[in-house]
Parts: sequence; C-alpha cells; structure tokens
Amino acid sequence: MPNIDYQRLANFRYAVITTIGDDGYPFSVTTNYHLTPDKKILLDKPLLPSKLDGRKVNVLFNHITGVPTGGYNERRYMLLWGTTHEDHGKLRLEPEKLSEWDEKILPFPEYCAKVAPQGAKYLENIQPSVEA
Amino acid sequence: MIRLPSWVQHTFNSYLVCEFTTVKNGKPVTLPLLPFYQPDTGKLVVTSSILFSKKIEHMKKNPKVSMLFSNPEGTKSGKHVILVQGTASTDDMDLDHGWEKYLPLWRKKEPYIDAYLAEREKFGWFWKRIAVQVGPKKITAWKDGDTSKPPEVFGA
Repeated sequence: MPNIDYQRLANFRYAVITTIGDDGYPFSVTTNYHLTPDKKILLDKPLLPSKLDGRKVNVLFNHITGVPTGGYNERRYMLLWGTTHEDHGKLRLEPEKLSEWDEKILPFPEYCAKVAPQGAKYLENIQPSVEA
Repeated sequence: MIRLPSWVQHTFNSYLVCEFTTVKNGKPVTLPLLPFYQPDTGKLVVTSSILFSKKIEHMKKNPKVSMLFSNPEGTKSGKHVILVQGTASTDDMDLDHGWEKYLPLWRKKEPYIDAYLAEREKFGWFWKRIAVQVGPKKITAWKDGDTSKPPEVFGA
C-alpha cells in the first residue's frame, strides 16, 4: 500500500484511467473521481473501456497544464497503479504503487539533479565503450 | 495517413500537454508531455530529456503507445478529448541537435522557450533530448469531451 497524501490527491480536477487493451495498445480515458472519508478512491465508470472490474490500471492525476498567459503553474502530478473494482456503480481503485512530482516539494532544478543517474545510464547505454 | 477533421487537428496543435503512455512489462506508465503535430505526415512528436528517459527505454522494448489530449486549459480550443494509439520510433542519434528541428513547433506552444535555451548550459543534460515520432494507428475522439457518449473513431 503506497503512502498517499490524500489531501493533495483531492486537489485535481479529474483523473485519467489507463489500461492495456487486448491489442496491446494503452487505452486512456478521462473520468471524474472523489475521495471518501475512509480514503477510498472512487472513479466514475467511463463508457470505454467497458470492462474495468478487476483490471490492472494506472490512474494519473495531473496538474501540469497551460495557463492563458503562457507557461505553467503549480506543476504536480500523482500516478497510481492498482486494480479497479466495481463498487456501487463506481470504480474503486485499490492502489498498489505511487509515482509523483510536485514542484512545491521538489523544485525542478533539484528534480533534474535527483534524476541525473538516469541520464548517465542512458548515455552509457547508447555510447560505444571507451578503453582510454 | 489517417484523414482527420479540422477540430481534431486543431486540438493536437493547441493543447499544451498530453497524457503519454508507454508499456513497461505489460503495465501502463502514463506521464504528462508536450506534444507536437506534423500535418504533412500525420505523425505526432514528443521529445524527452535523457534525465527522464525511462519512457524511452520502455518504447525501445515495446513501441505501442498512446497519447490522450484531455486538457484545453491555457488554450482557446474547444473541450475535446482525443486518444491517439500508435507506434513510436525513437531518435537519439544526435541528442544535442537532432530534436531542434521541432523547435518551430515548440515555439508555437511555448513562445518563451528561447529564454530557457539561451541559458542552455545551466541545464546541460535537460537539453540532451531524444525525439519520438508516433505514427497513429487508431484515433478515438470525443467531440466536446463527453466520454460518457460513444466516440468518433478514425483509422484502424
């Protein structure tokens, strides 16, 4: 069970549910969500995909969006992996794993520094080995 | 190349962010990314810094991806929701300059990008970027964004 900050999770406009279709392609759709006092994450059932009961999904809550004057504000997202279950006409997300970024908690320059090892790994993988 | 109505193309050109999904070991990984649209080829493009390149590793193993255009905030576009499912091809032959051919499209969405580019040395590895082209296979579109209604489907 991931350590989810439900107060921050409540501050998104909508959710994006993604699952993998029978053809192997990801399928994403928007839906509304709400949190219950006992920390259930309930999603409105979208028309498509039609069968989400018991499916492995990820659900993105994103606030990296544009502003009319240009640029972004309050960049943050929370990405939850889990299983969806039918629950009184809604889909209840049973979360299993969380990935998130909030620039108020981790400013972008610090974020870049934190992920530098991934950059180094990528460079290593694409460059021929050097014996010098 | 899939023929698309103007409202779909306008959405691609105007929405600042899409929700881009790669597949890792059979599971989806969805992240917000800045998308570009090339009307002459019908392909969509994103770029990724090597710093945030796990998604590129996923695509190299499994090129099936999707791009959801769901958020018109910051644009004067209609509130449409459009899902692109397609095949990704990555280009990391020239990390420093290969992606720069997409700068004109980038400037249209983020006119202030040149101010950041002028200080490129400050974030050197952020500007080492992989370009990703996505060839759409199927496009599922909800005009006016009501996903409780059946969508229009293009391609496939």
